Amino acid sequence: MIELKNIFKWVNQGSNKTFLLRDINLTINEGEFVSIMGPSGSGKSTLLNVIGMLDEFDEGEYFFLEKNIKGMKEKQRSQLYKEHIGFVFQAYHLIDELTVFENIETPLLYQDMKSSERKAVVADALDKFNIVGKKDLFPTQLSGGQQQLVGIARALIGKPKLLLADEPTGNLNSKQGEEIMELFRKLNKEEGVTIIQVTHSEKNAEYGSRIINLLDGRIEK
Amino acid sequence: MFKNYIKLALRNLWKNKIFSGINIIGLSIGLAVCITIMLFVQYEKSFDSFHTKNIYRLDEVQSWEGMVQPQKVALSMYPMASTLKNDFPEVITATHFHFNPATSVKYNDTKIFFKRSYWADSNFFKIFDFKLAKGDRKTALREPKSIVLTNESAEKLFGKEDPLGKTLSTNNSRDTIQFIVTGVLEPLPKNSHLQFEVLYSFNSFVGPETLNEWGGNWTITYLELSPNANIKALEKKFPAYLQKYMGKDATKGYKLFLQSLPEVHGHSGDITHDYNNFQKFDSDYTQVFFIIAIIVLLIGCINFINLSTARSSGRAKEVGVRKSIGAHRSQLAFQFIGESVLLSLIAMILAIVLVKLFLPYINNLSGHELEFSVFTNPVLLLKVIAGTTLIGIISGIYPALYLSAFKPVQVLKGTLLSGNNKSFTRNALVVSQFAGAAFLIIATIFVVKQLNFMQNRDTGFSRDQIVMLPGAYKNWYRLKDELSKNTLIKSVSGSTQRLGNNLHQTGVAFYGDGPVKELATSHVLVDHDFLSIYEIKLSAGKNFTREGEGHEIIINETMAKELLKDSPNATIESLIGKRMQMDEDSTTTLVGVCKDFNFNSLHHKIETLCLYNKKQGGYSDVCVKIDGARTEEALAYTKSVWEKIIPNYPYEYQFLDDHFAQMYEADKKVSKVVSILAALAILIACMGLLGLASYSTEKRVKEIGIRKVLGASVLNVVSLLSKDFIKLVIVANIIAWPLGWWVVSKWLQDFAYRIDMSWWIFALAGLSSLLIALLTVSTQTLKAAKNNPVKNLRIE
Repeated sequence: MIELKNIFKWVNQGSNKTFLLRDINLTINEGEFVSIMGPSGSGKSTLLNVIGMLDEFDEGEYFFLEKNIKGMKEKQRSQLYKEHIGFVFQAYHLIDELTVFENIETPLLYQDMKSSERKAVVADALDKFNIVGKKDLFPTQLSGGQQQLVGIARALIGKPKLLLADEPTGNLNSKQGEEIMELFRKLNKEEGVTIIQVTHSEKNAEYGSRIINLLDGRIEK
Repeated sequence: MFKNYIKLALRNLWKNKIFSGINIIGLSIGLAVCITIMLFVQYEKSFDSFHTKNIYRLDEVQSWEGMVQPQKVALSMYPMASTLKNDFPEVITATHFHFNPATSVKYNDTKIFFKRSYWADSNFFKIFDFKLAKGDRKTALREPKSIVLTNESAEKLFGKEDPLGKTLSTNNSRDTIQFIVTGVLEPLPKNSHLQFEVLYSFNSFVGPETLNEWGGNWTITYLELSPNANIKALEKKFPAYLQKYMGKDATKGYKLFLQSLPEVHGHSGDITHDYNNFQKFDSDYTQVFFIIAIIVLLIGCINFINLSTARSSGRAKEVGVRKSIGAHRSQLAFQFIGESVLLSLIAMILAIVLVKLFLPYINNLSGHELEFSVFTNPVLLLKVIAGTTLIGIISGIYPALYLSAFKPVQVLKGTLLSGNNKSFTRNALVVSQFAGAAFLIIATIFVVKQLNFMQNRDTGFSRDQIVMLPGAYKNWYRLKDELSKNTLIKSVSGSTQRLGNNLHQTGVAFYGDGPVKELATSHVLVDHDFLSIYEIKLSAGKNFTREGEGHEIIINETMAKELLKDSPNATIESLIGKRMQMDEDSTTTLVGVCKDFNFNSLHHKIETLCLYNKKQGGYSDVCVKIDGARTEEALAYTKSVWEKIIPNYPYEYQFLDDHFAQMYEADKKVSKVVSILAALAILIACMGLLGLASYSTEKRVKEIGIRKVLGASVLNVVSLLSKDFIKLVIVANIIAWPLGWWVVSKWLQDFAYRIDMSWWIFALAGLSSLLIALLTVSTQTLKAAKNNPVKNLRIE
């Protein structure tokens, strides 16, 4: 599903290049649950953003579903991740002015789904994540765990093949964190969603089927 | 999706009440101003549009020996209408009329005094499309002793009776004539430059012999030309035409030109003796209003652009999130533009309310009857909505592009510089806002100052407590004697023309030491007390005497200079006692030279003037100087005397001061509109500044806290926060000054007497805009600076 070959990413600081990613070679198959670990500044989030096509890389090759990303235009790329990738953020990043229902609905708006169909799909998701009662509340009226649940529901509403999660439990207490991790495992096992998560926590990493350790932008063997 | 956006937009507006309030109020004021000015412009342009023929007005340029400068007049000669029609195939029909400012009409016991009556010929209704409610438009003005009334005049005279065929008696200056009503007009459109109460058939007053009377300019001529007539070519043939009828020298004194009917109302600013041009208003001013209205609207739009981009960090997260879940930039841009359109539409609703609310006041101010029939006129409503939408799109484009360009990675990680205050575009926009506002301040000060100057300038004669009574004529001596008996009346005099009107010109011959000088001059026939009642001073010679009636002339200094032009060493005194005559029969002597006084508005330079001590009275205007302390009594007394002596002529009076104030009516309108618009522009600009200041202090709350902990005083903090804004306002002023200088000096050129371009006005404008801006900003900065720093820092 994902194939990274000799990926480099750097920023120029004066005349020096500071490498964020160095020579990343990585293959992830459909159905995997991968955890990316490493100390702060090791490039975890950068790698996740590159995979999610939110960020660019400077050298190397990236194949997503056998398509070469490098030569693609912005529009094609966003078309690709719109269809296949869902994002979950540490800070949830819900739109404060939208209700729970509307937040979850938003990705479907960009997929030109009909209104009636949209309502049904969102209703299903609310049901599935057990947040039907919260659908008319605004994000600020929810607890962190609930907000993240909405975030995940929103990420999955478009039925993506891949879920990218950047420290999804970072702002949550351990009980809420566990619940989210259980949910991830379930999604991975029962629905076959490929998941890549960035985490600090060994315990959370254990939920995954594979752990990748990063240090100074390099994958540690 | 659309519904979703609208919902989101409304929630956003609600959440940021200050921001939304500033934007909506600013935009709605801008829109309201624009709508009103558009209505005004539309109305101005609609003048005379109800006539369907290809009509031109014939005007003259007169440049006679002795005139300070050639003058354009809306007058022409009686024989021109028929000869032009005969001589030029382009002329399909020609009509002319004579304007009579005072006639009285009697039916049974009802007597009415008409201020606007025309002597009009039978082609009047052929050329003009004024509708007749009663009577036959083909024959109504054909026969002598025919009279056509407007529907209003008819109602006054006849009430519910049918006026057609009824006989009226009129009391003109001399005799009583019977007229038969041959037509009643439907109400005249308000947007007609011709406004009259009654039409008399021209041939009731003049016979065919008048067709040979060239040289007298007392009619107004209109021509219907064939649709493909070449105006320039036609005008080129006029000199030969003049020479054919008036002799070789005709072209020295006269030039003819044509003005198309739609131009008569708005493009006659430099044309004098233009009494039949209702609400004459220079279209240049209309354009100025239009431009200022656009400036006001732009200032409102800029508020929106600035506040949207300044607040961008607030929406940045949303942009990042939406992009990460699949929104295209174009979709986001569309969303933001949509929000701005929505906001404009809300502002539009408020603007409509504002216009509805203030239109009566504006109508009162402009004397127009503007209508804003937005609810009954779907085309107008559509226009307003379309215009507003366009404005929403224009002001939304930049913020939309700016906001939708955010990269999700940067935003979501929080590395984006939040609400950076150093946006060049935003600063440039604030500068242009305040440049516009400062420019308008400068313009307002100059306009108001010039107007004050004109109204208070010493015109060289006294208008205090002088009441004008029109229509005395042959009863003059009795009236004067009777009025003078009472101590309420200080002095009585009379003249054939009223000061403040364009005085008529005549030719005079001066028999000095050299050859006879023949020249043209403004002239008034006056009673011998004329100079004393107006307190006009003599520079040489002596005043008129009662005994001297019929053979004394006094000229003004300008005329004296004109006469002495060729003999530089001669004194004014040398002119006294010389023969000077206005027509060939009279034997008149120059007895005095009076000081120059402004007998016309200050738009005009003082022309040469000849005052003639008239024999046998017969003045159209009586001027009465009354006791200022007992005005009411004095007016009542003059009324009783008038009604005793001239019972068949209505008593109507006007203070000369009011008459002069009327001359500056258009100037007053301009100054009022400009100052109102300037105030609104400043208000909107300040609201924008308030928004920006509140936002930037909010952003710097932590910095302020730290600075205060480190020992900064309130003043330090305020000056730190205000500095950036003040800089912008200063730059704005530097841009506005030369612009203001240029525009104002162009405007002032229209006045023969004008104020200086004093530098302190610019300084004052700069200082006041600075002060206003400082006050606005300091409401925010003071609040921030006074806050307890600990509170601010604890938030983090």
